[in-house]
Amino acid sequence: MPLDPTAPEPSARLPRRGLERLDLLLLSVEALDLNGGESMVWMSEQMGFTKLFPNRVELWKRRCTNPLRRTTRRDGLDPVETDALIRILCSLADRLYPLLRGLLTSAEPAEVLSQRWDLFRGRLLELIRERMNPRRGGVQLLLDPDAGARQARQLVQALALGSGAGGFERLRASLLDAQP
Amino acid sequence: MKQTLQYDQLSCRLRVEGLPDVSVGQGAGALGIITGWSLQWAGRPELEGRKEHLLALMQVVLPYARYLISGVPRRFGADPTPVEIGPNPGRGHLLLLRSSQADTPPLQLELDDAELADLVRVLDQLRLDPRLQLQLELPSPLPLRARELLERRPLAQRLAAPLGGVLALGLAAGMGLLLPEPKPVAPPTANPSAVQQPPS
Repeated sequence: MPLDPTAPEPSARLPRRGLERLDLLLLSVEALDLNGGESMVWMSEQMGFTKLFPNRVELWKRRCTNPLRRTTRRDGLDPVETDALIRILCSLADRLYPLLRGLLTSAEPAEVLSQRWDLFRGRLLELIRERMNPRRGGVQLLLDPDAGARQARQLVQALALGSGAGGFERLRASLLDAQP
Repeated sequence: MKQTLQYDQLSCRLRVEGLPDVSVGQGAGALGIITGWSLQWAGRPELEGRKEHLLALMQVVLPYARYLISGVPRRFGADPTPVEIGPNPGRGHLLLLRSSQADTPPLQLELDDAELADLVRVLDQLRLDPRLQLQLELPSPLPLRARELLERRPLAQRLAAPLGGVLALGLAAGMGLLLPEPKPVAPPTANPSAVQQPPS
Protein backbone atom coordinates (compact mmCIF):
# COMPACT_ATOMS: atom_id res chain seq x y z
CA MET A 1 0.00 0.00 0.00
CA PRO A 2 1.58 3.35 -0.97
CA LEU A 3 1.86 5.90 1.80
CA ASP A 4 -0.12 9.12 1.60
CA PRO A 5 2.51 11.83 0.85
CA THR A 6 0.15 14.56 2.04
CA ALA A 7 -0.21 13.05 5.52
CA PRO A 8 1.41 15.29 8.13
CA GLU A 9 4.05 14.08 10.55
CA PRO A 10 2.85 12.50 13.79
CA SER A 11 2.55 15.09 16.52
CA ALA A 12 -0.36 14.59 18.86
CA ARG A 13 -1.13 11.86 21.38
CA LEU A 14 -4.48 10.14 21.07
CA PRO A 15 -7.05 11.11 23.68
CA ARG A 16 -8.74 8.45 25.80
CA ARG A 17 -11.68 8.14 23.38
CA GLY A 18 -9.27 7.77 20.46
CA LEU A 19 -7.42 4.91 22.18
CA GLU A 20 -10.74 3.17 22.81
CA ARG A 21 -11.86 3.53 19.19
CA LEU A 22 -8.52 2.45 17.74
CA ASP A 23 -8.57 -0.79 19.74
CA LEU A 24 -12.24 -1.39 18.92
CA LEU A 25 -11.50 -0.96 15.21
CA LEU A 26 -8.67 -3.49 15.51
CA LEU A 27 -11.06 -5.77 17.38
CA SER A 28 -13.55 -5.41 14.52
CA VAL A 29 -10.83 -6.55 12.12
CA GLU A 30 -10.37 -9.64 14.28
CA ALA A 31 -14.13 -10.21 14.20
CA LEU A 32 -14.09 -10.05 10.39
CA ASP A 33 -11.00 -12.18 9.96
CA LEU A 34 -10.53 -15.25 12.15
CA ASN A 35 -6.76 -14.90 11.72
CA GLY A 36 -6.90 -11.16 12.36
CA GLY A 37 -4.42 -11.27 15.23
CA GLU A 38 -1.84 -13.07 13.08
CA SER A 39 -2.57 -10.75 10.16
CA MET A 40 -1.73 -7.75 12.35
CA VAL A 41 1.67 -9.18 13.23
CA TRP A 42 2.34 -10.11 9.61
CA MET A 43 1.23 -6.69 8.35
CA SER A 44 3.39 -4.96 10.95
CA GLU A 45 6.43 -6.87 9.66
CA GLN A 46 5.50 -6.21 6.03
CA MET A 47 5.18 -2.49 6.67
CA GLY A 48 8.53 -2.27 8.43
CA PHE A 49 7.31 -1.65 11.98
CA THR A 50 9.45 -4.41 13.49
CA LYS A 51 11.45 -1.87 15.54
CA LEU A 52 8.28 -0.49 17.09
CA PHE A 53 6.56 -3.84 17.59
CA PRO A 54 9.29 -6.50 17.62
CA ASN A 55 6.87 -9.29 18.52
CA ARG A 56 3.20 -10.03 19.07
CA VAL A 57 3.47 -9.38 22.82
CA GLU A 58 4.66 -5.81 22.24
CA LEU A 59 1.85 -5.26 19.76
CA TRP A 60 -0.60 -6.66 22.29
CA LYS A 61 0.76 -4.40 25.04
CA ARG A 62 0.19 -1.30 22.89
CA ARG A 63 -3.41 -2.36 22.32
CA CYS A 64 -3.89 -2.73 26.08
CA THR A 65 -3.71 1.08 26.47
CA ASN A 66 -7.44 0.97 25.73
CA PRO A 67 -9.07 1.97 29.04
CA LEU A 68 -11.98 -0.40 28.35
CA ARG A 69 -9.76 -3.49 28.56
CA ARG A 70 -9.88 -5.92 31.48
CA THR A 71 -6.13 -5.48 31.94
CA THR A 72 -5.30 -1.96 30.92
CA ARG A 73 -1.96 -0.15 30.80
CA ARG A 74 -1.81 3.41 32.00
CA ASP A 75 1.12 4.53 29.83
CA GLY A 76 -0.24 6.16 26.67
CA LEU A 77 0.93 5.57 23.13
CA ASP A 78 3.60 7.67 21.45
CA PRO A 79 2.37 9.40 18.28
CA VAL A 80 4.78 7.27 16.22
CA GLU A 81 3.29 4.07 17.67
CA THR A 82 -0.22 5.39 17.13
CA ASP A 83 0.49 6.18 13.50
CA ALA A 84 1.99 2.74 12.95
CA LEU A 85 -1.10 1.07 14.44
CA ILE A 86 -3.40 3.24 12.27
CA ARG A 87 -1.39 2.37 9.16
CA ILE A 88 -1.65 -1.34 10.00
CA LEU A 89 -5.38 -0.90 10.55
CA CYS A 90 -5.87 0.90 7.22
CA SER A 91 -3.97 -1.82 5.36
CA LEU A 92 -5.96 -4.58 7.03
CA ALA A 93 -9.20 -2.72 6.24
CA ASP A 94 -8.05 -2.45 2.63
CA ARG A 95 -7.56 -6.24 2.47
CA LEU A 96 -10.93 -6.82 4.12
CA TYR A 97 -12.74 -4.21 2.00
CA PRO A 98 -14.85 -6.78 0.08
CA LEU A 99 -16.20 -8.08 3.42
CA LEU A 100 -16.83 -4.55 4.71
CA ARG A 101 -18.60 -3.66 1.48
CA GLY A 102 -20.70 -6.80 1.74
CA LEU A 103 -21.93 -5.65 5.15
CA LEU A 104 -22.65 -2.07 4.07
CA THR A 105 -24.41 -2.72 0.79
CA SER A 106 -28.17 -2.50 0.45
CA ALA A 107 -28.22 -4.20 -2.94
CA GLU A 108 -28.57 -7.72 -1.55
CA PRO A 109 -31.56 -9.47 0.06
CA ALA A 110 -32.28 -8.39 3.63
CA GLU A 111 -32.04 -12.00 4.83
CA VAL A 112 -28.48 -12.37 3.52
CA LEU A 113 -27.45 -9.05 5.04
CA SER A 114 -29.00 -10.00 8.35
CA GLN A 115 -27.03 -13.27 8.41
CA ARG A 116 -23.77 -11.42 7.69
CA TRP A 117 -24.41 -8.89 10.43
CA ASP A 118 -25.38 -11.60 12.91
CA LEU A 119 -22.14 -13.44 12.21
CA PHE A 120 -19.99 -10.32 12.52
CA ARG A 121 -21.76 -9.04 15.59
CA GLY A 122 -21.65 -12.45 17.26
CA ARG A 123 -17.87 -12.63 16.85
CA LEU A 124 -17.41 -9.03 17.97
CA LEU A 125 -19.50 -9.58 21.12
CA GLU A 126 -17.53 -12.71 21.89
CA LEU A 127 -14.24 -10.77 21.67
CA ILE A 128 -15.64 -7.89 23.72
CA ARG A 129 -16.83 -10.24 26.50
CA GLU A 130 -13.46 -11.98 26.47
CA ARG A 131 -11.22 -8.90 26.61
CA MET A 132 -13.17 -5.89 27.87
CA ASN A 133 -14.13 -4.88 31.38
CA PRO A 134 -17.92 -5.39 31.63
CA ARG A 135 -18.19 -2.87 34.49
CA ARG A 136 -17.28 -0.01 32.15
CA GLY A 137 -20.22 1.99 30.78
CA GLY A 138 -18.70 1.96 27.29
CA VAL A 139 -18.53 -1.85 27.29
CA GLN A 140 -22.10 -2.14 28.55
CA LEU A 141 -23.19 0.07 25.63
CA LEU A 142 -21.34 -2.21 23.19
CA LEU A 143 -23.07 -5.24 24.70
CA ASP A 144 -26.49 -3.60 24.51
CA PRO A 145 -28.50 -5.08 21.59
CA ASP A 146 -29.61 -1.73 20.11
CA ALA A 147 -26.79 0.66 21.00
CA GLY A 148 -24.22 -2.08 20.30
CA ALA A 149 -25.67 -2.76 16.84
CA ARG A 150 -25.45 0.95 15.99
CA GLN A 151 -21.85 1.09 17.19
CA ALA A 152 -20.95 -2.04 15.24
CA ARG A 153 -22.28 -0.41 12.06
CA GLN A 154 -20.29 2.75 12.80
CA LEU A 155 -17.14 0.69 13.28
CA VAL A 156 -17.64 -1.10 9.95
CA GLN A 157 -18.38 2.19 8.19
CA ALA A 158 -15.27 3.78 9.71
CA LEU A 159 -13.17 0.84 8.51
CA ALA A 160 -14.60 1.09 4.98
CA LEU A 161 -14.03 4.85 4.75
CA GLY A 162 -10.61 4.55 6.35
CA SER A 163 -9.38 1.68 4.20
CA GLY A 164 -6.31 2.07 2.05
CA ALA A 165 -3.65 4.76 1.88
CA GLY A 166 -6.18 7.54 1.45
CA GLY A 167 -8.01 6.55 4.59
CA PHE A 168 -5.06 6.96 6.93
CA GLU A 169 -5.25 10.71 7.36
CA ARG A 170 -9.06 10.64 7.69
CA LEU A 171 -8.97 7.92 10.30
CA ARG A 172 -6.19 9.56 12.29
CA ALA A 173 -8.03 12.89 12.31
CA SER A 174 -11.17 11.14 13.59
CA LEU A 175 -9.23 9.40 16.38
CA LEU A 176 -7.85 12.80 17.43
CA ASP A 177 -11.35 14.30 17.76
CA ALA A 178 -11.93 16.39 20.87
CA GLN A 179 -13.71 14.76 23.81
CA PRO A 180 -17.40 15.75 23.65
CA MET B 1 0.54 12.11 -25.53
CA LYS B 2 -3.03 11.70 -24.28
CA GLN B 3 -3.21 10.01 -20.88
CA THR B 4 -6.11 8.13 -19.34
CA LEU B 5 -6.20 7.20 -15.67
CA GLN B 6 -8.81 4.65 -14.65
CA TYR B 7 -9.85 3.52 -11.17
CA ASP B 8 -12.33 0.71 -10.59
CA GLN B 9 -14.48 -0.33 -7.69
CA LEU B 10 -17.43 -2.70 -7.65
CA SER B 11 -20.11 -0.05 -8.20
CA CYS B 12 -18.25 2.71 -10.02
CA ARG B 13 -15.42 3.46 -12.44
CA LEU B 14 -13.63 6.79 -12.60
CA ARG B 15 -11.84 7.68 -15.81
CA VAL B 16 -9.74 10.84 -16.05
CA GLU B 17 -8.29 12.04 -19.34
CA GLY B 18 -5.64 14.64 -19.87
CA LEU B 19 -2.21 15.59 -21.09
CA PRO B 20 1.20 16.09 -19.54
CA ASP B 21 2.06 19.72 -18.92
CA VAL B 22 5.18 19.94 -21.06
CA SER B 23 5.63 23.62 -20.18
CA VAL B 24 6.81 22.53 -16.71
CA GLY B 25 8.78 19.59 -18.05
CA GLN B 26 6.41 16.73 -17.21
CA GLY B 27 7.19 13.36 -18.75
CA ALA B 28 5.02 11.48 -21.22
CA GLY B 29 3.49 9.29 -18.49
CA ALA B 30 2.29 12.20 -16.36
CA LEU B 31 -1.06 13.91 -16.36
CA GLY B 32 -0.80 17.62 -15.60
CA ILE B 33 -3.79 18.98 -17.49
CA ILE B 34 -7.21 17.37 -17.03
CA THR B 35 -9.26 17.64 -20.21
CA GLY B 36 -12.24 15.59 -19.05
CA TRP B 37 -13.46 12.88 -16.72
CA SER B 38 -16.31 10.44 -16.41
CA LEU B 39 -17.79 8.47 -13.55
CA GLN B 40 -19.73 5.35 -14.49
CA TRP B 41 -22.17 3.92 -11.98
CA ALA B 42 -23.73 0.51 -12.19
CA GLY B 43 -27.35 1.04 -13.23
CA ARG B 44 -27.14 4.84 -13.13
CA PRO B 45 -26.45 7.61 -15.64
CA GLU B 46 -22.82 8.34 -16.39
CA LEU B 47 -21.44 11.57 -14.99
CA GLU B 48 -18.92 13.62 -16.89
CA GLY B 49 -17.49 17.08 -16.81
CA ARG B 50 -14.50 19.34 -16.67
CA LYS B 51 -11.73 19.59 -14.11
CA GLU B 52 -13.72 22.11 -12.03
CA HIS B 53 -16.57 19.63 -11.63
CA LEU B 54 -14.23 16.84 -10.56
CA LEU B 55 -12.59 19.15 -8.03
CA ALA B 56 -16.03 20.20 -6.74
CA LEU B 57 -16.97 16.52 -6.33
CA MET B 58 -13.80 15.82 -4.37
CA GLN B 59 -14.21 18.96 -2.25
CA VAL B 60 -17.56 17.77 -0.91
CA VAL B 61 -17.32 13.97 -0.91
CA LEU B 62 -13.97 13.67 0.93
CA PRO B 63 -14.89 16.07 3.80
CA TYR B 64 -18.28 14.34 4.05
CA ALA B 65 -16.49 11.02 4.49
CA ARG B 66 -14.20 12.60 7.06
CA TYR B 67 -17.17 13.74 9.17
CA LEU B 68 -18.99 10.44 8.67
CA ILE B 69 -16.05 8.48 10.04
CA SER B 70 -16.53 10.43 13.29
CA GLY B 71 -20.24 9.63 13.24
CA VAL B 72 -21.30 13.15 12.26
CA PRO B 73 -23.36 13.12 9.03
CA ARG B 74 -23.17 16.75 7.86
CA ARG B 75 -24.30 18.30 4.58
CA PHE B 76 -21.57 19.67 2.31
CA GLY B 77 -21.96 21.96 -0.71
CA ALA B 78 -24.31 24.94 -0.64
CA ASP B 79 -26.65 25.97 -3.46
CA PRO B 80 -24.30 27.73 -5.91
CA THR B 81 -21.73 24.91 -5.85
CA PRO B 82 -22.17 22.27 -8.56
CA VAL B 83 -22.09 19.30 -6.15
CA GLU B 84 -23.84 18.73 -2.84
CA ILE B 85 -23.87 15.69 -0.59
CA GLY B 86 -25.68 14.98 2.63
CA PRO B 87 -27.41 12.27 4.61
CA ASN B 88 -30.59 10.83 3.13
CA PRO B 89 -32.60 9.80 6.23
CA GLY B 90 -33.15 6.06 6.28
CA ARG B 91 -31.68 5.52 2.82
CA GLY B 92 -27.99 6.30 2.95
CA HIS B 93 -26.68 9.42 1.24
CA LEU B 94 -27.92 11.86 -1.37
CA LEU B 95 -25.56 13.24 -4.00
CA LEU B 96 -26.93 16.27 -5.87
CA LEU B 97 -25.30 17.45 -9.08
CA ARG B 98 -26.29 20.84 -10.45
CA SER B 99 -25.82 21.51 -14.13
CA SER B 100 -24.29 24.77 -15.29
CA GLN B 101 -27.06 24.98 -17.93
CA ALA B 102 -30.02 26.94 -16.59
CA ASP B 103 -32.77 24.73 -18.03
CA THR B 104 -31.35 21.42 -16.73
CA PRO B 105 -32.71 20.23 -13.38
CA PRO B 106 -30.22 18.91 -10.80
CA LEU B 107 -29.47 15.21 -10.86
CA GLN B 108 -30.06 13.32 -7.61
CA LEU B 109 -28.27 10.10 -6.83
CA GLU B 110 -29.10 7.99 -3.80
CA LEU B 111 -26.04 6.12 -2.54
CA ASP B 112 -25.89 3.42 0.09
CA ASP B 113 -22.92 3.15 2.46
CA ALA B 114 -21.09 0.71 0.18
CA GLU B 115 -21.47 2.93 -2.90
CA LEU B 116 -20.26 5.94 -0.94
CA ALA B 117 -17.21 3.98 0.23
CA ASP B 118 -16.53 2.96 -3.42
CA LEU B 119 -16.74 6.59 -4.51
CA VAL B 120 -14.39 7.70 -1.72
CA ARG B 121 -11.90 4.99 -2.68
CA VAL B 122 -11.76 5.94 -6.37
CA LEU B 123 -11.31 9.60 -5.42
CA ASP B 124 -8.55 8.63 -2.99
CA GLN B 125 -6.85 6.53 -5.66
CA LEU B 126 -6.89 9.50 -8.05
CA ARG B 127 -5.68 11.92 -5.36
CA LEU B 128 -2.71 9.72 -4.45
CA ASP B 129 -1.80 8.57 -7.96
CA PRO B 130 1.80 9.68 -8.63
CA ARG B 131 0.96 10.01 -12.34
CA LEU B 132 -1.42 12.87 -11.54
CA GLN B 133 1.02 15.76 -11.28
CA LEU B 134 -1.48 18.44 -10.52
CA GLN B 135 -2.02 20.38 -7.32
CA LEU B 136 -5.56 19.70 -6.11
CA GLU B 137 -6.95 22.22 -3.64
CA LEU B 138 -8.52 19.89 -1.11
CA PRO B 139 -9.06 20.54 2.59
CA SER B 140 -6.87 18.36 4.79
CA PRO B 141 -8.76 16.22 7.34
CA LEU B 142 -8.69 17.77 10.81
CA PRO B 143 -9.92 16.55 14.20
CA LEU B 144 -13.43 17.75 15.02
CA ARG B 145 -14.09 20.17 17.87
CA ALA B 146 -16.20 19.14 20.83
CA ARG B 147 -19.04 21.37 19.63
CA GLU B 148 -19.17 19.62 16.25
CA LEU B 149 -19.32 16.24 17.98
CA LEU B 150 -22.10 17.40 20.27
CA GLU B 151 -24.17 18.26 17.21
CA ARG B 152 -24.53 14.55 16.41
CA ARG B 153 -26.74 14.21 19.49
CA PRO B 154 -30.40 15.03 18.74
CA LEU B 155 -31.52 18.53 19.72
CA ALA B 156 -34.12 17.18 22.18
CA GLN B 157 -31.43 15.14 23.94
CA ARG B 158 -29.07 18.13 24.11
CA LEU B 159 -31.78 20.41 25.49
CA ALA B 160 -33.14 17.89 28.00
CA ALA B 161 -30.70 18.73 30.81
CA PRO B 162 -30.90 22.55 30.67
CA LEU B 163 -34.68 22.48 30.19
CA GLY B 164 -35.04 20.05 33.08
CA GLY B 165 -32.98 22.39 35.27
CA VAL B 166 -35.08 25.43 34.38
CA LEU B 167 -38.27 23.44 35.00
CA ALA B 168 -37.05 22.24 38.39
CA LEU B 169 -36.08 25.79 39.35
CA GLY B 170 -39.49 27.13 38.28
CA LEU B 171 -41.26 24.35 40.18
CA ALA B 172 -39.27 25.04 43.34
CA ALA B 173 -39.99 28.75 43.06
CA GLY B 174 -43.72 28.04 42.55
CA MET B 175 -43.81 25.74 45.58
CA GLY B 176 -42.08 28.43 47.58
CA LEU B 177 -44.77 30.91 46.65
CA LEU B 178 -47.48 28.49 47.81
CA LEU B 179 -46.10 28.36 51.33
CA PRO B 180 -48.09 30.61 53.70
CA GLU B 181 -46.35 33.75 54.79
CA PRO B 182 -45.39 33.76 58.47
CA LYS B 183 -47.62 35.90 60.68
CA PRO B 184 -46.06 39.20 61.67
CA VAL B 185 -44.56 39.08 65.13
CA ALA B 186 -46.52 41.25 67.61
CA PRO B 187 -44.49 44.14 69.02
CA PRO B 188 -43.43 43.56 72.63
CA THR B 189 -45.90 45.19 75.10
CA ALA B 190 -44.63 47.33 78.00
CA ASN B 191 -44.60 45.12 81.08
CA PRO B 192 -43.33 46.89 84.18
CA SER B 193 -42.88 43.62 86.05
CA ALA B 194 -40.50 42.48 83.42
CA VAL B 195 -38.32 45.48 83.90
CA GLN B 196 -35.54 44.72 86.22
CA GLN B 197 -34.94 47.19 88.89
CA PRO B 198 -31.41 48.36 89.12
CA PRO B 199 -29.74 47.32 92.35
CA SER B 200 -29.88 50.08 94.91
